[in-house]
Amino acid sequence: MTTAEDLRAIHVDQFLAHPPAKVWRALTEPEHLNKWLMPGDFRPEVGHTFTFQGTPVEAAEFSGTVYCEVLEIEKERLIKLSWDDGSRLGWTVTWRLEPEGRGTRLFLDHEGFDPDDPRQQVSRKIMGGGWRSMHMRAIEKVLAEMG
Amino acid sequence: MREDVFAALASPVRRQLLHLLLDGGSQPVGRLAERFDMARPSVSEHLKVLKDAGLVAESRHGRERHYRLEAAPLMEIRDWLTPYERFWRERLADLGTVLDDMEDRDDDNR
Repeated sequence: MTTAEDLRAIHVDQFLAHPPAKVWRALTEPEHLNKWLMPGDFRPEVGHTFTFQGTPVEAAEFSGTVYCEVLEIEKERLIKLSWDDGSRLGWTVTWRLEPEGRGTRLFLDHEGFDPDDPRQQVSRKIMGGGWRSMHMRAIEKVLAEMG
Repeated sequence: MREDVFAALASPVRRQLLHLLLDGGSQPVGRLAERFDMARPSVSEHLKVLKDAGLVAESRHGRERHYRLEAAPLMEIRDWLTPYERFWRERLADLGTVLDDMEDRDDDNR
């Protein structure tokens, strides 16, 4: 992955020891979404607009409310949402489910970060050359050990 | 984030020093200086900038000064650079817990 791509998107994936149908329920039923993501009136229907209500995060310039529209739905395979947290435009969040063994690998793509965003530019300037991705892991490790 | 933290991170030498401390934990100046092609006082100067920015702390062990990382500004850097990455990692970890607690349905395993 190039640094330019790093700055435009976040890719995270996680193996879940549960079948895709169950993971799909956790991703689409508000009573479950509520517990791991945020309370919101999500429905798995293209064109449905809704909000998630979260806790404001100052470091992320996140106001606490996320305005979303369902852009794509493929049952038990994919959900793509527009994701507007009030500070930036043009973000999308996509969850992709792939069966893996007896479980599911869930891929999350958070895309649409603007490489010209002043914060991204500063970040690139001081953290250039892969510093960010390489060292974030090391920082996490040290912080975990520090307790 | 504080201006002096940015300034401290702007230097490749200081980023390398942080890297060495991340990898090797608390270390004497001498061991850190061996890794650089520059005089030890210059390395000490860089460590002082990191210390003034609060990124490292120093302690005396006999005649030697040891340097170690400080957690708070590291957390600040991490949260500032990748707030959303961290957010999603934590959410996906929570999703795993929610799934473990959810009852299985017959038609989940088709």
